[in-house]
Amino acid sequence: MLISIVYTILIFSAISGILAFLLVIADLLFANYGECTININNKKELKVKGGSSLLDLLNENKIYLASACGGRGSCGFCKCNVISGGGPLLPTEKPFLNPEETKENMRLACQIKVKEDIKIKIPEDIFNVKKYKAEVKEIVDLTYDIKELTLKLIEPDSIDFKAGQYVQFVAPPYEKSKQAVSRAYSISSSPDNNDHIQLIIRLVPDGICTTYVFEYLKVGDKVDFTGPFGDFFIRDTKADMLFVAGGSGKAPIKSMVEYLFKRNSNRRMVYMFGARVRKDLYYVDYFKEFEKKLPDFTFVPVLSQPTEECEWKGKCGYIPPFFPEYIKDPSKTEAYLCGSPGMIAAVVKGLKENGVPEDKIYYDSFA
Amino acid sequence: MKETPRELKIHNNLKAGAVVTEGFLGDDDRRFHEIIQEDKTELIKLGISNQDLAKRMEYFTQQAFEYYDGPVVVDDKYKVEYRSFRGKIICPFAHPGVYRKGEITLINLENKIKVCWTPLNIHMIKEHCFFEGKGSKHRLDPVILVKALY
Repeated sequence: MLISIVYTILIFSAISGILAFLLVIADLLFANYGECTININNKKELKVKGGSSLLDLLNENKIYLASACGGRGSCGFCKCNVISGGGPLLPTEKPFLNPEETKENMRLACQIKVKEDIKIKIPEDIFNVKKYKAEVKEIVDLTYDIKELTLKLIEPDSIDFKAGQYVQFVAPPYEKSKQAVSRAYSISSSPDNNDHIQLIIRLVPDGICTTYVFEYLKVGDKVDFTGPFGDFFIRDTKADMLFVAGGSGKAPIKSMVEYLFKRNSNRRMVYMFGARVRKDLYYVDYFKEFEKKLPDFTFVPVLSQPTEECEWKGKCGYIPPFFPEYIKDPSKTEAYLCGSPGMIAAVVKGLKENGVPEDKIYYDSFA
Repeated sequence: MKETPRELKIHNNLKAGAVVTEGFLGDDDRRFHEIIQEDKTELIKLGISNQDLAKRMEYFTQQAFEYYDGPVVVDDKYKVEYRSFRGKIICPFAHPGVYRKGEITLINLENKIKVCWTPLNIHMIKEHCFFEGKGSKHRLDPVILVKALY
């Protein structure tokens, strides 16, 4: 009896599997969805051949949504708002969408197969995103596990971005990776120097992209990236500015401070940088110099676990307890944070306790 | 045992260079379901479930997270530290979702046993009962893990 049940299940599973396989083959060989229209923001219409993913079709038309996994449905970056068309939400998309996003019909562009006319809404900034080719001009060791890359743009030869935004850097297939991967890194250089960008990259143990950068990338190599992306940028107000960063989180803040310096900003600025030990600190003298260059700028490095070897005479501990010393008027303070999710959570909590309005706290978490 | 296409895909994802440079199998030349089966047997002997272990690891991870990534002494017995890295990582078992990149180090101050895991380890133990192959950098031997966490 048991054997016959097992056999029935096996036969049923095998038939289902074969039918599913045949459907996929038939879809690939015979399905013809004809010409479809992708309407974007009611402003732009693309005529495309149906049957490919929305992400691929947008890419073919030089519209680049953020994507770190190359359309495999594993990063959840390529979200867009589908107004009509696109079919039902797939199980592969659900883990990446919160209830609010699901209600608003946010979808993953890589999971939508365009089989009919589709109407979507994407942030206007996406139209500024381009695919760039660049040459590695310089690689500098900032610490034992952080490097700075300078990339001279080749095609296009200039980039328009806001200080604080990031790009998706592409690591090609190499000895330790069978496929190309792309990863997000904040631009650390000022938008005023638009013929090149700089990136500050911290080594991720076993990370495919950072291992490529640390062990294989050489000066003179050609690289690809897309961008700019992100909504972490300076708000154009007169409010005091508090920057808090840790690790490679210094990158977007460096871009912001350089941008503000170029405009001789007289906004009150305090930059608190957290590290564990002295060897994790970098660009200390560089930012101390801004205390002389800008009218009201203070740089405060803080070590959380200084050892005797550090010979550290600066501030020790975590950053939030020092907020009362540096925040003059919390209600008129904007905070710009970049670092690990743990650091961001602790700093946001500390800022709120010190009276900084939540809607004035902007951050780029290492997410 | 013949593997399904899905199992073959998972096995390839676990190899070096697919999801992480060093992979999840170490120098273990067994198939992943054999590794899982052996660890399941070990868990039965230990009288603990993979979900219980994952829950305990989540608890310590959260404690470090709430204390600015630590190090923090938890319950007067465990020193926990969280090293965060930029980005997220996918599950090699093709489970939908992404997991933070980071390393959590726990030292049991009583027996001095030190273990290190990633947020992805917690997921793989909880959902797939996969502790990684022998020789893998983040292999968590259930016997050692239990000694460290309790």
